Amino acid sequence: MARIRFQSVTKRYANGATAVAGLDLDIADQEFLVLLGPSGCGKSTTLNMIAGLEEISEGVLLFDDQIVNNVPAHKRDVAMVFQSYALYPHMTVFENIAFGLRMRRVGEADLRMRVMQAADKLEITHLLERRPSQLSGGQRQRVALGRAMVREPAVFLMDEPLSNLDASLRISMRAQIRHLHTQMRSTFVYVTHDQAEALTLADRIVVMKDGTIQQIGTPDEIYESPTNVFVASFLGSPTINLLEGALERENGAACFKRGTLTIPLPALQGGARNIVLGLRPEDVGTPGDGPQLHGVVDTAMPSGADQFLGVLVDDAMLFLRVGKDVRVRAGEAISFGLNPERLHVFDRETGRSLRGAA
Amino acid sequence: MIVPRPIGPRVVRAAILAAASVLLLAYVLAPVAWLLSSSLQTEREIVSIPPHWIPDHPTAQNFRAIFATGLGLAQPSPNGADPASGGFIPSVAGNLLPAMGNSFIVATAVVILNLLIGVPAAYAIAKIRFRGRGVALYAILATRVIPDIALVVPFFLVVRKLGLLDNLASLIITYLAITVPFSVFVLASFFEQMPDDLDRAARVDGCSRLQVLLRVFLPLARPALVAISLFAFLASWNEFLLALMFTQTAASQTLPIIVAGITSDFTVSFSFLNAAGVLAVLPPVALAVIFERYIVSGLTAGAVKG
Repeated sequence: MARIRFQSVTKRYANGATAVAGLDLDIADQEFLVLLGPSGCGKSTTLNMIAGLEEISEGVLLFDDQIVNNVPAHKRDVAMVFQSYALYPHMTVFENIAFGLRMRRVGEADLRMRVMQAADKLEITHLLERRPSQLSGGQRQRVALGRAMVREPAVFLMDEPLSNLDASLRISMRAQIRHLHTQMRSTFVYVTHDQAEALTLADRIVVMKDGTIQQIGTPDEIYESPTNVFVASFLGSPTINLLEGALERENGAACFKRGTLTIPLPALQGGARNIVLGLRPEDVGTPGDGPQLHGVVDTAMPSGADQFLGVLVDDAMLFLRVGKDVRVRAGEAISFGLNPERLHVFDRETGRSLRGAA
Repeated sequence: MIVPRPIGPRVVRAAILAAASVLLLAYVLAPVAWLLSSSLQTEREIVSIPPHWIPDHPTAQNFRAIFATGLGLAQPSPNGADPASGGFIPSVAGNLLPAMGNSFIVATAVVILNLLIGVPAAYAIAKIRFRGRGVALYAILATRVIPDIALVVPFFLVVRKLGLLDNLASLIITYLAITVPFSVFVLASFFEQMPDDLDRAARVDGCSRLQVLLRVFLPLARPALVAISLFAFLASWNEFLLALMFTQTAASQTLPIIVAGITSDFTVSFSFLNAAGVLAVLPPVALAVIFERYIVSGLTAGAVKG
C-alpha cells in the first residue's frame, strides 16, 4: 500500500543541470502510472527519486504520509526493473530472484516457495539453475521481473523494461505486465519513451519534457485533448499533422486560414491570432456536410489493415489514414470530410491548446 | 596421385614464430635455469669453463646449510672446501630463514591491508558520487609519479619519529604507501566497468552500500583482487631500498637485505648465494603458478580504462 506524492520536488545535479523542476505529482495507491517523454526529460530521474537512488535537491517526497527524502533505497519497500535488467552475473537465476528476499531475511522454506511461484508464473522454472549469461534477452527480462515480483513490494518501478526486446516480444510482455499489476495490487510507476506502451499500460500518463510535467491524464484524455503541441505530437503514430496558419473571423465565425485553405472552427472563441491546427491521421472521413479538405495524392502506402496517404493540401503535406477500399493513385485529386470536434487548435506562440477556451 | 604440397607461407610463418618464441624463452629463462643449476653445484664446478648447465655432482649442501643453521642446528662454518675458492657458508646464512619469515610477514600484512583499504576506497571512487571524487583519484595516482628514492628521507624521518626503526611495522607502513595507490587505481577502474545498474539493483533489493560491495562487487572482482594482491605481495617481497634504510638487525631484516649481504663478505660463495636466490624466488613463483589464470584478466581489466 503506497500513495506517492511529490511536492515541488526539484533535482539538480552537481554540474548545475536541473533534471526535474518543481514537480508536483500525486500517485494513487495501486495506480499504474506511466512517465512518458523523450530522453532527458527527467522521467528516469523522477523514478530514481522514488527508488531512493537519487537525492532530492528541493521539495518533499512522501510515501503515504511519511516523508522519505532521506530514507535510503534499501529501506524503502520498492522493487525496480531496469532496462539493462541488471541481473547479478555471478548468481544463478534462482539466486537472482531470491536475492531481495535473502537481504530481508525471509526464511529458506518461504523463500523457496515464493521463488518457485514467481518462476512458475513467468514460465522460467527450467532456467533456475542457469546463469544470466546463458539466457536470451526475453528470458533475462523475465528473471528481472521475477526478482522484483517475489518481493511483493508496495511500489513497483520499471525503467524502460521492454526497450531491449524485439517488437513481438514487447507486445506480449505488455500484456503480462498489465496482468502483473492486477495481481499484485501495488503501485506501479513505469518509465518509457514509447507512446504506444504508455497508451496500452497506463491508468494515467504523465507527459514530461525538460524536467517539467506537460500534462497528466488518462490515456484517452492525453490522446484526445492534448494541452499543447508537444503532447499532441508526442502521442500517436504516425504523428499528428500540424498546419501553421491564422485564426480569422468571417461574419463572426472563427475559421482557420492558410493560403487557399479555409476550415471553419465554429466552437472557437477569441480574436485573430497565429495558430497551429492539429489533425490526427485517422480523423478524416468521406466528404459530407461538414468542412472539407481537398488535395492531391502524393503517395499511397498500404499497411495491411488500412493504408496511409501522403496528401498535398495547398503547400502542406498531410499524412492520413484511410480504409483500403479508397482506391487512389498518386497524382489523383481527393477530398475528405472533417469533424471540427476532432480538430486540435494551438496558439502558435505559446503552443498551448485553445480548446480549453472553446 | 598425391603431390606433396609446396611449403606455404603459413608454414614458414609458424616456423619463424616458433623459433622466435624459443629464443625469447631461452633469453628469459636462462638466468633462472643457471640460478637453479648452480645452486646445486660445488663452488669449484660453478667456475668451470665451459659452464656445466647440468651439474656433474649435484649437491644439496647449500640448502642443507641454510636449513641447518636457520633452525639453529649448526653454526656457520667452512664446509670443507678450499676457502680461497669461496666454498664456505657465509656468516649470514643463519639469518636467511628468519629473514624469509620477516619478508613473509611483511608481504602478507601488506596484502591484507591493501585489500581492507583499497576495496572500499575503490568502490567509493567508482560508484558513489561525492564532492572531490575526481581530485581524490588523481591525488592517489599522483603519489605514484614520485620515485621511491625521493621518499626515502621523508619516510625515514617519519619512521624514526614513530620509533619504528628496525621494526617490521616500518616496512608495512611504507610499503602500503607505495602499493595502496596502485591497488585503488586498478580496482576503481575495474568497479567502474561494472554497470551502475548492478549497484542500483542491489540497493533497491535491500543492500546497504557495504552489502552491495560485499555481496555483488567483490565476488565479481576476484580477478582484480588476485592481481592487486599479487602485486602488493611481490612489491613487498622484493623491496630493497626502504628495507635497507629502516632495518638494522635480523629482527627486521628481510630476504633481499640478507641475500645482498652475502655478497659483502670478504669472499663470495656463489653457490650459496644462488641457493639463497632460489629460496627467494620460490614463494612468488608458487603464487604466480597458483593464481595464473586470474592474473592476466585482472591486470588487463584494470588497464583498459583510465
